[in-house]
Amino acid sequence: MTDVATPPVVAAPAGDDVAARGSLLRAEARRFTSRRFIRVLLLLAAAGYVAAIAIASSTAFAKTTPEGLAAAQRSIEQLVAEQDRYREQCLAQPGRPADVSDDQFCGTPARGSDFRAEDFLDKRPFVLSEGLPAGAIAVGVAVAALSFLIGSTYIGAEWTSRSIVALLFWQPRRVRVIGAKLVVLTAAAVLLAVVAQAVWWATARVMAGALGKAGPLPADFYGDLLGQQSRAVLLAVLAALLGFGISNLVHNTAAALGVGFVYFAVVETAIRNLRPAWQEWLLTDNAAALLTDGGYRLYVYGEGFVDERGTYVDSGRELLLSNLHGGLVLGFVTTLVVGVGVLLFARRDLH
Amino acid sequence: MDVIQVVGAHKSYRRRGKPPERALDGLDLVVGSGGVHGFLGPNGSGKTTTIRMLLGLVRADAGELRLLGRPVPEALPEVIAGVGALVETPLFFPNFSGRLNLRLLADTAGVSRLRVEECLELVGLQGRGDDRFKGYSLGMKQRLGIAAALLKSPRLLILDEPSNGLDPAGIREVRELVQRLGSDGRTTVFLSSHLLAEIQQVCDSVSIMARGRCVATGPVAEVLAGRGSGDVRVRVPQQQRAAQVLTEAGFVVTEQDGALHVHGVDDAGEITRTLVRKRLYLTELTPLAADLESVFLDLTREAS
Ligand SMILES: Nc1ncnc2c1ncn2[C@@H]1O[C@H](COP(=O)(O)OP(=O)(O)OP(=O)(O)O)[C@@H](O)[C@H]1O
Ligand SMILES: [Mg+2]
Repeated sequence: MTDVATPPVVAAPAGDDVAARGSLLRAEARRFTSRRFIRVLLLLAAAGYVAAIAIASSTAFAKTTPEGLAAAQRSIEQLVAEQDRYREQCLAQPGRPADVSDDQFCGTPARGSDFRAEDFLDKRPFVLSEGLPAGAIAVGVAVAALSFLIGSTYIGAEWTSRSIVALLFWQPRRVRVIGAKLVVLTAAAVLLAVVAQAVWWATARVMAGALGKAGPLPADFYGDLLGQQSRAVLLAVLAALLGFGISNLVHNTAAALGVGFVYFAVVETAIRNLRPAWQEWLLTDNAAALLTDGGYRLYVYGEGFVDERGTYVDSGRELLLSNLHGGLVLGFVTTLVVGVGVLLFARRDLH
Repeated sequence: MDVIQVVGAHKSYRRRGKPPERALDGLDLVVGSGGVHGFLGPNGSGKTTTIRMLLGLVRADAGELRLLGRPVPEALPEVIAGVGALVETPLFFPNFSGRLNLRLLADTAGVSRLRVEECLELVGLQGRGDDRFKGYSLGMKQRLGIAAALLKSPRLLILDEPSNGLDPAGIREVRELVQRLGSDGRTTVFLSSHLLAEIQQVCDSVSIMARGRCVATGPVAEVLAGRGSGDVRVRVPQQQRAAQVLTEAGFVVTEQDGALHVHGVDDAGEITRTLVRKRLYLTELTPLAADLESVFLDLTREAS
């Protein structure tokens, strides 16, 4: 480092406003977008999306053609004929009690008009009014899972390399350091979720045009859809922050994913089986509640008992978890996890 | 103005299931501006703890700390632009290149891209700037850490054992760099080390740590003076006889490395006279400068 032309050791004097000219947020955004693992995750997700759409388009959906309908009609006729044959056999059975009518014993004869041709199509048409909202939920769930992973690795890798500590030599206000990361992550999750929903919207319109029908749409279809998609964006943000919060508490991505796995695979299953009444507080159920239009119906199995007249009484009840319920529970848990982590980061000795 | 002032700093680390570990025990430390100040102490004497505390990473249990004249950690945001630091091992993101790691820090503080290149060149990493940090050798990592500390062109440069993991050539380069910085009239270098030779070579002043306290401080020459000085090495063909003669004459004599060491000598001429009178002729008479090692051992022994 000495035999080359030596640059000045001291450059322009560092004024005390150096920190003011820099931007923690800009640097943080750059750090986020430079992360290879995050890039790879996004690429994989995009590839997975394209593959899923391609498979669904080629195997599950098609516009209804007259030939297709005719084929479906033939399937129905076949089915009716088959059922008729079974009924004949049933009626021909020897030793049939005389006081039971034909219909009571062997069922009413099948009629072609009992079946809808659409249900017997080989490939069903992609109906925008049903497919678009259903897909929005699926995309929302996938984006939330991806966001959890991204949030978790974003801060986890910083702890593993401890580069977050080095950053404090440049910005000693710890809350600002972690706040900048939270802002960048939130923005990234919003962007990711909005782009994903927009892409799905466009995809669904193309699919409806090519493989099904775009109308008719129920009243306020787009209003409801936008509401649902906005809630999907909120879910992505909460998932990203939750992943970040857990990783920040355990200081390690893998450990955070382990915590996530244990929670979703073990804790939730155990609670569903052992304490069904607590289900309304589970993250998965509340995520469903947040996403589902009109809220999520949850059936809580009760203890079930036999009353004095000998009839079995099911004490189970149906619960409706509203969008608000889902959002509040998820928001509370996320705030708690992130908040505790930020507080510890702000106060703890760092080595 | 003093760049570092520490008064009565205490720090104990809590440990699970064990009594707390006392790392600093009433540390007083003053580092004046300019030059290279050595921070010398054996392993575990509290050097890194002191530095972490000055940088706001660790909270003091008691005591007052000032950096560039301002109280820390309260005023750290105001003074941090003038302080560059490398604490123990450099902390960088392993999958980013050395250059990107530096640029991200530079962006945080509004330091120019040009300065990033300058610093890479300064530590001899200009050719490897685009390699990933995790692919660097130990010495290259350390150099990148030094480059990061230099990015801000700091008035106070804090280096915690910077020659860790460097080869002899690397160590020499770092020492030259430190000396160059220390003599530019603007930068003060605070150099922590447990290597006596390093301090001796590059430092103008020194503070010596032992068990969480500063046991001596001042210009390197002064800290050395008055400590273990006045020893003289004597070589004579008839060593046993000479030792006997000198002892009889009232000198304190020990044998070391095949020579006699005479302690507490005010006038070396007296040794010559005494020996010549007994027809013992010297082949060597060398006054021994006190080295930091003996001072250091003395001081740490006194402190314990
Ligand atoms: N995170 C920690 N938890 C518990 N004890 C600690 C911690 N860090 C340091 N210590 C203790 O504090 C004391 C001082 O440690 P410190 O790292 O400051 O010493 P040092 O002078 O830098 O030593 P070295 O030359 O080995 O770097 C030691 O006894 C050490 O065990
Ligand atoms: Mg140390």
